[in-house]
Amino acid sequence: MSSGIELGDGLRAARDRVRVFAQYDGPIEAEADVVVVGSGPCGAVAAYELARAGKDVILVEEGPPFTVRDFELDGNLSMTRTMREGGLRMTRGTTMPTMQAVALGGGSLVNSAICLRPPDSVFERWASGFDLERTTRADLDPHFDAIGEFLGIAPTPDAVQGRRNLLFRDACEKLGVSSEPIARNVKGCRGSGECFTGCRSRAKQSMDVSYVPAALRAGARVMTSLQVQLIRHSGRRVTGVAGHVVVPFSGGSGAGRTHPFRIDAKAVVLAAGCTATPVLLRQSGNLANLSGQVGRNLQFHPGVAIAGVFPDAVDPQFGATQGYQSLAFLDQGFKLETLWAPPPLLSMRFPGMGAELQARYAELPRMAVWDAIVSANRSLGEVRTRPWSSNPVLHWRLHPGDLAILRRALVVIAELFFAAGASKILPGVQGVADQITSLGDARILDSPAVRPESLVMGGNHVFCTTRMHGDPKKGVVDEDGRCHDLENLYIADTGIFPQCPSVNPMWTGMALARRQALTLAGRL
Amino acid sequence: MLEPVVTGLLILSAASVLAVASHRRFVGGYPAPPPGLAVLHRGEAAFIQAAAEVLFPDGASLPVAGADAQLPLYVDRHLSALPAAQRLQIRALLLLFEHLSLVWPAREPGGHGRFSSLPTTARLGVLERVADHRDFRVRLLFTALRAIVALGYLSHPANLSALSLAPFEIQPAVSDAELLFARIGALPMSIRYEETDRTDPAALGPLDLRGPRHLAFRFQERFPERPADRSADRNAR
Repeated sequence: MSSGIELGDGLRAARDRVRVFAQYDGPIEAEADVVVVGSGPCGAVAAYELARAGKDVILVEEGPPFTVRDFELDGNLSMTRTMREGGLRMTRGTTMPTMQAVALGGGSLVNSAICLRPPDSVFERWASGFDLERTTRADLDPHFDAIGEFLGIAPTPDAVQGRRNLLFRDACEKLGVSSEPIARNVKGCRGSGECFTGCRSRAKQSMDVSYVPAALRAGARVMTSLQVQLIRHSGRRVTGVAGHVVVPFSGGSGAGRTHPFRIDAKAVVLAAGCTATPVLLRQSGNLANLSGQVGRNLQFHPGVAIAGVFPDAVDPQFGATQGYQSLAFLDQGFKLETLWAPPPLLSMRFPGMGAELQARYAELPRMAVWDAIVSANRSLGEVRTRPWSSNPVLHWRLHPGDLAILRRALVVIAELFFAAGASKILPGVQGVADQITSLGDARILDSPAVRPESLVMGGNHVFCTTRMHGDPKKGVVDEDGRCHDLENLYIADTGIFPQCPSVNPMWTGMALARRQALTLAGRL
Repeated sequence: MLEPVVTGLLILSAASVLAVASHRRFVGGYPAPPPGLAVLHRGEAAFIQAAAEVLFPDGASLPVAGADAQLPLYVDRHLSALPAAQRLQIRALLLLFEHLSLVWPAREPGGHGRFSSLPTTARLGVLERVADHRDFRVRLLFTALRAIVALGYLSHPANLSALSLAPFEIQPAVSDAELLFARIGALPMSIRYEETDRTDPAALGPLDLRGPRHLAFRFQERFPERPADRSADRNAR
C-alpha cells in the first residue's frame, strides 16, 4: 500500500485540507466527527483509520510541519526547533534528560525509526497484572502487520549498516550472543546517520510523509500550530477541544499564543503524548480521573551508552543511525543497540576539559557508541502540572533494582567492545575512570561505585501516565482506549501502556491506536 | 513636612548609587561584543569567549581553537532559538559562572574578580573546582556550561570537517511532506513542487563514505557570510 498523494486535483484538495500558522488571521471554529489531538505515530494512525472509515476527522498538532529545507543540520539547534522546552527537559528526583517532540509527525520526525513487537511475555505480564483480556500478541498481530506493510517496516540492510553497526554484530558473534539488524520504518535508507535531525533523503517513513498524507488523502483535515488547552465536556461526554494558535518555536505559552480556537466533535482522541496528555486532562478540570491515576505510574526506558575507541578508523559518519540490536538480555531487563547522533551531541558526555577533551574529540573517527535501554518498571514517577504553563514537571526516581540492571548492562556493553577489538572504552560514568582499557577494569561498572547520579542516562520512551486497566478504579482507560469515566474520550499514546514494554514502543503504540480507531469508527 | 521628602530623596540616592554600582559590576567594563548578537549582552559574550579560551586552548588536535570558534555568536543563535524559560535558565547559568569568582575566588594568583577578567590559570582553576566538586549538583553546573560551549566548538565547520564528521551532501528530497506543506512561516501558495518532482531515495542507493560533504561545512569559517543570513542560506542549500 502506498501513501502517495494522487496527481493533480487530488494533491491540491489534500493541500487545501492543511492549515499552517501563516494562514490563521482570527478566531477559529470548526466541527468534526472526531478530533485527534497530536500527530505522532499513534495520533496519525488513528486519524488515518478514522478518515478511511468515512469519518470527518480533524487532526490537531501543536508543532509546525517540517519540510526538508526546514531541517537544521546542527544537532543542538535542531533540538531547539523540534523538541519541547528546546530539548532541555529533565526529570526531577533522579535527574535525567527526556525529549518529547513538537512537530507534525511527533517523535517519528526525529527518532531512529526502530520498530519492534514486544515479546509474548510482555503481553502476558500486562494481561495478568492489569485485568486485560484482549491485549494479547495474537489480538494485536493483525494491527502490527497492517502497519508494517503500510510503512515498509524491514530489517536494516547490510549496505547501509556502516562499520560501527557491523562491529556490534561481529562482537555478538564472537561472544555467542544473538543479534539482528534493526527493523525500521524506512524505505531506501542511504546511511546518512541523521535520523535525529530529520531524514533529508526522506527515506524514513515518519508520520509527516506517511500516515498524515494518507489521512489527508482519505479526507481528514490537518490543523497545525494549534495548542489544545482544554477538553470541553458536559456530564459524561466530551464536546470538543479549545485552545490557541501558537507561534512556531515559541514554546507555546504567553506571548507565543495568538488567536483562540474551538473544535466541536462527537468524540475526542488524545494522542498528545505521555507527558502532555495528563497535563491536558488535569487542566480540563481533572478530567477522566476518578481513579486518581492520571499522571501517575510514570515509567521510562532509561538508557546508558558507552563509547568504544578502536585502533583504526570506524568512519562512524556513515551508516544507519541505529542499525543493529541484541534481544539476548531481555529476560534480564535490558536491550542492546548501536547508536549514533550528531557528534557534538555525543561528545557532551566526554569527561574533562582543555587539551584532554580535544584529544577525545580527535578520537571520534575511531569511535562507535552502543547503548542499553532498561525495562525499568519498578522505577516510578509522576507527571505534575505547572502553573501558567503547558509544560509538565516530571518527578521520577530510579529504583535500586533497575540501577543494578543498568550496571550489569554497562559491563555487557564493555565486554562486547573489547570482543570487537576496541582499545579502550569511555564509560561516561562519574566516579570511575574516564577511560578503561581492559574488561577486568570495566567490571567496576557493575559495582556500588556507580550511583544514579553518576550515570549519564537518557529516557526518551515514556509510559503509563494514563494507564490501561480492566478495573476502572486502577486505570484511566479500558482496552479500547476509552476513558472509564467518559463515553467518548479516548487516549491513544504510550501513556496507556500498563507497564513499559521492554522494547522500543512506537510500533506497539501504533498497533493499539489502530485497534482503538477501528473500534471507535464502529461506534460513531 | 520635609521629612518624607528627605527620606524619599535619600532612598532615591541610595538606589541610584546601588544601580550605578550594580551596572559597573555586572554590565560595565566589558569589551565590545562581536557584531550580530541578537540576545547575548556584552558581559555574557565576554564570559563565553573567556570560557572557550580555557576549555579549548590553542595548539590541540583540532584546527580551530575555542578563542577563534566564534562561540558567542553560536551561543547567541542557540539562545535565540530557545523558548523564553530555557533561555532564562542558561543566562542565569552564565551569570552565575561569570560572578562566581567574586564570592568564591580561584586559588591561583589574580583569582578574585569576574571570570572574564581573570588570568587564564585562574579561569581554569575556577572551572576545575566546580568540575571536581564533591556535590554532583555542583558538578552538573559545570557539565551544563561545558555542553553549552562545547556544542558550538565541535560543530564548527572546520573542526567537524577535520574529523571527517561533516554531514554528507544530499540533494534535498521531495516527498509527500514537501508536496503538501509550506516551509515554516510560509503560505501554501509558496509550494512550488508537483507530483513529478517527487524523489525516490531507494533509486539513489547508499551514500559514498568518501563522497562530498555539505557545502556549509566546506567553509573554514563558522560565519563566512553575515550571521543573519546564515540560517536561510544553509537551509536553502
